[in-house]
Amino acid sequence: MYIIVAGAGVVGLHIASTLVEGKHEVTVIEPSATVVENVRSQLDVKTIVGNAATPRILREAEVSRADLIIAVTHSDETNMLICFLAKELGAAMTVARVRNVEHVGYFLTAAKSPSAARKIIRPKSLGVDLFISPEVEVANEIINVLCGYCAIPLSNFAEGRVQIGEFRVEQEKIINKSLKDIKFPAPCVIAAIVRSGKTIVPGEGDILEQDDHIYIVAERESMDKLGEVVTKPQPPVSSVVVFGGGRVGLLVAEGLEKQGISVKVIERSLSRSQEIAAELELAVVVQGDATDRDFLMEQGVSSADAFVSTTESDELNILCALLAKNLGVPRSIVALNRTGYIPLAEAIGVDITISSLLLTAGKIAHFVLHGGAISANFVGGEELQAIEFVVSSAASVAERSLTEAGLPKEAIAGAIIHNEEIIIPPDNTAIHPGDHVIIISPLSSIPSVEKIFK
Amino acid sequence: MRIIKVSHYLGLLLVILGLFMLLPLIISLILGESCSVAFAISIGISVGTGLLLWRFVPAGEGGLSRREAILLVVGGWVFASLFGTLPYALAGTFPSYIDALFEAVSGFTTTGATVFASVEAQFRGIILWRSITQWLGGMGIITLFVALFPILGIGAAHLVEAEMPGPQSDRLTPRIRDTAKAVWILYLGFSCLEFILLLIFGAPAFDALNITLTTMPTGGFTPTDLSIGAYNSPPVEIIVLIFMAFAGVNFGLYYYLIWKRQVKPIISNPEFRMYVIILVVSSLLVAFDLIRNMGMSLEPALRYGSLQVVSIMTTTGYASADFDVWPVFAKGVLLVLMIIGASAGSTGGALKVIRLLVLCKYAYRRILLAFNPRAVIHLKFGRNVLSETAISGILGMAIVYFGIIIIGFLVMSAVGLDHVSALSSVLATLGNVGPGLGLVGPTSNYLSIHPLGKVFLTVCMLVGRLELFTVLMLVVPSFWKWR
Repeated sequence: MYIIVAGAGVVGLHIASTLVEGKHEVTVIEPSATVVENVRSQLDVKTIVGNAATPRILREAEVSRADLIIAVTHSDETNMLICFLAKELGAAMTVARVRNVEHVGYFLTAAKSPSAARKIIRPKSLGVDLFISPEVEVANEIINVLCGYCAIPLSNFAEGRVQIGEFRVEQEKIINKSLKDIKFPAPCVIAAIVRSGKTIVPGEGDILEQDDHIYIVAERESMDKLGEVVTKPQPPVSSVVVFGGGRVGLLVAEGLEKQGISVKVIERSLSRSQEIAAELELAVVVQGDATDRDFLMEQGVSSADAFVSTTESDELNILCALLAKNLGVPRSIVALNRTGYIPLAEAIGVDITISSLLLTAGKIAHFVLHGGAISANFVGGEELQAIEFVVSSAASVAERSLTEAGLPKEAIAGAIIHNEEIIIPPDNTAIHPGDHVIIISPLSSIPSVEKIFK
Repeated sequence: MRIIKVSHYLGLLLVILGLFMLLPLIISLILGESCSVAFAISIGISVGTGLLLWRFVPAGEGGLSRREAILLVVGGWVFASLFGTLPYALAGTFPSYIDALFEAVSGFTTTGATVFASVEAQFRGIILWRSITQWLGGMGIITLFVALFPILGIGAAHLVEAEMPGPQSDRLTPRIRDTAKAVWILYLGFSCLEFILLLIFGAPAFDALNITLTTMPTGGFTPTDLSIGAYNSPPVEIIVLIFMAFAGVNFGLYYYLIWKRQVKPIISNPEFRMYVIILVVSSLLVAFDLIRNMGMSLEPALRYGSLQVVSIMTTTGYASADFDVWPVFAKGVLLVLMIIGASAGSTGGALKVIRLLVLCKYAYRRILLAFNPRAVIHLKFGRNVLSETAISGILGMAIVYFGIIIIGFLVMSAVGLDHVSALSSVLATLGNVGPGLGLVGPTSNYLSIHPLGKVFLTVCMLVGRLELFTVLMLVVPSFWKWR
């Protein structure tokens, strides 16, 4: 596929490098010559110095043959304009990042219940096919984590009937046992094991260790039962401290408020704290610095059930989460911009990291896949991707089994959904057109996986 | 720096090189020449060493870093040259190994300077191998390697950048591998076209093949002692002239013409315009001098003058007449053209027209700034403003280029050449032209030069082909340290 990425900031660069790894043709447009120089030395992409919101630059990037254009410059308005122009000039699909929640409000329909996913509507005349709002994504993820049963978020497939859950290995019964010796209460497939930041494609003989993270594919109904085997249930959350009253912090506070959880927001800037205090109904807003231990003690942070840090600065977020942990908060959640800090943060005691980068990249992931992929999610950092395919009658896998069709060895079949029946783990029977198949594959093998569904 | 990783890829490169020796092997077998044994052994050694390196040296993880890429490029050229001497050495073509190395490097760098006393006395197989080395070196063995193998990641971009002539090459396609493929396909296409045309206009098949293999890379080796002049055939001269001129143009422009069907990028390209202007004006100047001071009539003056100008400016080095006996001014023009050279992204060598263009504009800006120091003046290339980093790169390159010419002039004088021969031998090898003036003129050769001088010129050819810094970097100790 030919993909144009406009804006080579942290997100743009990250998306471009993921795409290059997936063997796509990529052109990066960026106004700063120094940044471009940096991109050139890191990635095998074409680079254009200039403003992507101008037809001349877009034409230079051959936008007319682009399958996808991803606008991730710093300005929301520019991103929308880029998509509009690109669509007019013939780009097949457009994605814009819109950070400002106020803008996003225009594109979201009001949510009926707080837990229901908000639906994004597409104003056709704007030419934007997908809006990504990393702030909203991060906030939703944080709320899901705090309110869900699972310690760690789930990704949904087949309209939510099949899920992939991430669990931390905590139950003594299964530690130091190999996968084939563990008796799971419901049919499931282990999709990946993440051990100290490294993703392992599991085999039957792999032995689980304490604090491994495992990814399980199973039906939604059996997820909780499976979770009990692997991990210890988390106590319900009734009070949360949110550090950082930025866009993410405000969204998290609003969401938690609606769930009836008592929230305290700590914000450093006085004027911002006044602003958010006006927005929030029940939450307590305090102005102060969360790196100040005495201040945290005074605010009674130690008795909170969870501490969430959501400032712009990754370093500050990690540091404050550790401080809160040290004061006795049982769970800490950190929003991170850079993916490089994730293993580090988890290694030094942060319970859960939520990366806007990974969420954004995940949103875009299935757009760049061929062969009837309808959704895709990253599993275990970014080395694996779980993809849901709809089998067409022309696909080479149709009427054949997965092994016959030549599914690469590194890839794992997670589930087959035939008519209404969910088959987990997938057997070696023939796959019929119209079936949904969920495959977990390393990034580098995705092209060969796509091939069998083409 | 992982030398192990670099050796792994060098192995693969040697295998490709060995496979290209099959062609002269077949020719020499058909003609029943005794050098076929030499080729068989050479193939065995190159492919064998290559396979060993490739198979048993692990590639390790990740792509190539910038330094590793540079080491691979220089290493690739050195290895290709060393293994390329095998057929010469084994067939006993040259009395000394230095001569064999000189000929091989002169081949791969598309210089075309020869140490053969007589080409026509050599085995056909050896002559063909000599031409093939030029054809491989023209568009670049490393670029061919990148086009063939998809295994290098970002390292591939560093490789092509280090090998392609000209200041920071323009990326034609999002993936560097597609760019490498495109230029090699163009190169192959032009070569086929020239071969067919030469056959149609009556060149003997073997000669046509050799000429084709050395025109497109702007190499200059011919299977005859008298170069192109030996055929004394206007159609052959015209075909060769046209294809030399084609080869001296940035191949990226052809890409736009053929794949994108856009004419504008070519016509509006300042370097292309300048290239054409210099070719036409120099041809007229030389022809004028030939008419006035040598008493030639208009038609032969234009015919010999234009072929020589194109041949020297594109750094090919063919000769249709002995230009060493031409009047002083005509020789002076040719000497200047040796410094200027062809376009960036072409197969030609020397300083490149684009750098000359930037240097002139830079000088003009300095003059303007001298009386109005507060003026803000950008240097533009077409519609784009050149960054100060790019300008400083070009300036630095020019300084080093002239520095090497001066040092080379002294070295060659020290080994006993007269001033004209000393200067022109350095210009002709550093710019990958081939024949110079005086002792190293078009009807003469480099055989009589002192071995030390030959070694120095060999280094000049390699340094010139890889555009100075790629090789010079390796001499700096801190290149090999982690900082």
